[in-house]
Amino acid sequence: MIEARQLTKVYRVPVKKPGLWASVRSLWDRETRDVHAVDHLDLTIGEGERVGFLGPNGAGKTTTLKMLTGLLHPTSGSCTVAGHTPRDRHPDFLRSVTLVMGQKQQLLWDLPASETFVLNRALFDLDRVAFQRSLDELVELLDLSPFIDQPVRNLSLGQRMRCELAAALLHRPKVLFLDEPTIGLDVQVQAAVRTFVAEYNRRNGATVMLTSHDMKDVASIAERIVLIDGGTIRFDGPLQQFRQRFGGGRRLVVRGVEDLGDLGFTSAEGRASATVEPDQVNGLLQRVLERHPDAEVTVEDPPLEEVLATAFGGKEG
Amino acid sequence: MLEARRTVQALAALIRVSVATAMQYRSNLLFGLATALLVDAMRVAPLLLVYGQREQVAGWELPHALLVTAFFFLLFGVQAAVLEPNLGEAVQAVRSGALDLMLMKPVDAQLLVSLRKVDASSLFPVVSALLVGGVALGMTELPGPVDVLLAVALFGSGVVSLYCLWLLAICVSFWFVRVDNLRFLLWSATDAGRWPIDVFRGPVRWILTAVVPVALITSFPAQALRGAWDVELLGTSAAVSAAFLLGSRWAWRRSLAAYASASS
Amino acid sequence: MHLLRALPDIFRVSFAGVVAYRAEMVIWILTSTMPLIMLALWNAVVDEAPLMGFGPTEITRYFAATLLVRQLTSSWLLWELNEEIRTGSLSMKLLRPMHPLWVHAADMLAAMPTRMVVLLPMLLALVAWRPELLALPDAWALAVFLPSVFLAWLLGFLVQAAFACLAFWLEQTQGLFALWFGAWMLLSGYLAPLEMFPEAAQPLLGVLPFRGMLAAPVELLTGRATPQTALVDLGVQLGWTVVGFAVVRALWNRGLARYGAYGA
Repeated sequence: MIEARQLTKVYRVPVKKPGLWASVRSLWDRETRDVHAVDHLDLTIGEGERVGFLGPNGAGKTTTLKMLTGLLHPTSGSCTVAGHTPRDRHPDFLRSVTLVMGQKQQLLWDLPASETFVLNRALFDLDRVAFQRSLDELVELLDLSPFIDQPVRNLSLGQRMRCELAAALLHRPKVLFLDEPTIGLDVQVQAAVRTFVAEYNRRNGATVMLTSHDMKDVASIAERIVLIDGGTIRFDGPLQQFRQRFGGGRRLVVRGVEDLGDLGFTSAEGRASATVEPDQVNGLLQRVLERHPDAEVTVEDPPLEEVLATAFGGKEG
Repeated sequence: MLEARRTVQALAALIRVSVATAMQYRSNLLFGLATALLVDAMRVAPLLLVYGQREQVAGWELPHALLVTAFFFLLFGVQAAVLEPNLGEAVQAVRSGALDLMLMKPVDAQLLVSLRKVDASSLFPVVSALLVGGVALGMTELPGPVDVLLAVALFGSGVVSLYCLWLLAICVSFWFVRVDNLRFLLWSATDAGRWPIDVFRGPVRWILTAVVPVALITSFPAQALRGAWDVELLGTSAAVSAAFLLGSRWAWRRSLAAYASASS
Repeated sequence: MHLLRALPDIFRVSFAGVVAYRAEMVIWILTSTMPLIMLALWNAVVDEAPLMGFGPTEITRYFAATLLVRQLTSSWLLWELNEEIRTGSLSMKLLRPMHPLWVHAADMLAAMPTRMVVLLPMLLALVAWRPELLALPDAWALAVFLPSVFLAWLLGFLVQAAFACLAFWLEQTQGLFALWFGAWMLLSGYLAPLEMFPEAAQPLLGVLPFRGMLAAPVELLTGRATPQTALVDLGVQLGWTVVGFAVVRALWNRGLARYGAYGA
């Protein structure tokens, strides 16, 4: 569905030196520096896959998404999405993908969202029956009916984002690119968006590629993780493997017990927890049970935030 | 007194920053100057077209009509460099809540909000004004010192009323944030100032003197420079600007009160 | 064909937008009353004696027609597209399988009925007040008026599209456009009937694109055109339309490539 070969994007940025003379000189003698935003990226994503695209700020996530949607042209290398070269912007290509950006909107600001939907019906040339069917489905899944006829400017951020999603999915794209879709939303709406994306993927078999800072997004939507840093891929594999590789440890949680500090546990809010390598889990478990035979002990995966912090070597959470 | 001094100092500091900002973009400035001069030349052209056919229009000869145009370019410069940018700033400030911070400063809030910015790169029409005015004066006898002093005073009084008009627009922006179109309306209304006021008749003439007081800024000082002033002219100018000053100050206080009770 | 199918819905949504912005719309229309200001000046000029066949009646008729044609042909594409390019919101529009310029064109046309609703009462009042102004042009002139005014609109749209495309490279497209607009005001018949220009300038005025953007339809409406001049005007309009399409196409494609290279 998505195929990138040696995909590369180099930005040429002017180097600005301070001072008047330097400004004047820059008129004819511009010094520039090349920034490799995306550097020989190889990536294959199959139909129906849900991929979390992770990386710190400036890692090249958004640049990659924009190349895959045809908004940016690769400096070198190539990519194919849904059988098309994105930069050609073929109408069939545009009809089969969508891009949702948490910080950009397509809704008409002073009109009800329903007007944007009608406009998109026209622009995507959907036939009325299919349009009505997908609209009804989206209205129901995203629970839009209470505010679909209110001007967008009067909606809350969460309501607006739900309408954005509907506008982006009316034409039933086969490939979804989501760039920070839950940024700034409150917890309930974030959860609703996640459930919705998963549901859309299940119903339509659509391919989903998601970038997010919020690990809960990734944990609940993605089944495969691609980790990018400095424009190159650092990891590509199933979510489970990602946890094992970077957060190899398991977390032991003991409830209602406080006196395990000597075994490496930290206590908070009436529970003690410790993260250890998988092969040490049994030994530690035994020593805990020796001391508190009836303690309630669980073994968990560490939170994804911790995993990511390890992956980026403390660069960013 | 102390407050007045502080206000002046604060305004001077803000204006210095604005000029320094404009100077950062020298090449833009040169380009701006070139376009402004060309556009202004095209603005003078219709006048030449008219006076190519007639010696006199509504009692005005070419040099005097050119003086009106020169004052019109000055008005244009003041409006583009001072009045319009500050309306934009005020709208921004209301929208972003920065107005609250401005109201906390120990200087006169009206002046701080309405004169905080000068867009120096929009002052080019002043160059056109000097050019056109110079040519016009070269075509007639030079005005006497009294005439010149009166012209300066009349122009000043006219600018004050125009400032008040834009201040009213700022007051409106406290209630309705979308005032972009109000800006356009003010621009197109002041455009009438480019002709001698005597070409207009009836209510329009009255409107251009007392409601959108462009005649005060362009025709009145030009009248003084040609030595054709009288007590009525001076009285009208003084009365209109006094009314504008009082009215806009009142509107400002009302809007502030409304703003204070509306925001939380 | 997809475009034709989409048009009714684009129209409908754009019209909803016009209704949402009706207050702004009225102000916009009031803003373009410049022809009335020019009318005052020219009225004063022709008051004593007719000039080039223009008496008070003819000159009023001319500027009333100018007002109408201006409303029928104005675009605001430049500001919209500039904003989209500057803020990057063009990206979202590029992801729809229809050329953004087509959508904008439909958007502008959808505003037309509302503009007429505001403007026609004004014109009717004018005619009721001075019935001698109404002189219905010949049937052929009315028939030619429709394509003529459409081409005038299209030319204006293409010019703004071309200047807006420059925003892919430059930040000062509005300054450049001001230059064009100055020339347009002078040479299109907006400030003065083109007949007022010296005889020597006429052939040049005839082949420049400006005449076709305003004076050509206005002269058809005021009965000053002959079948010969109308035909020549149509030819010139068509010629410039072709040029305009080619220029916009080239600029748009290159601009988009640049947009794709430097960040969207």
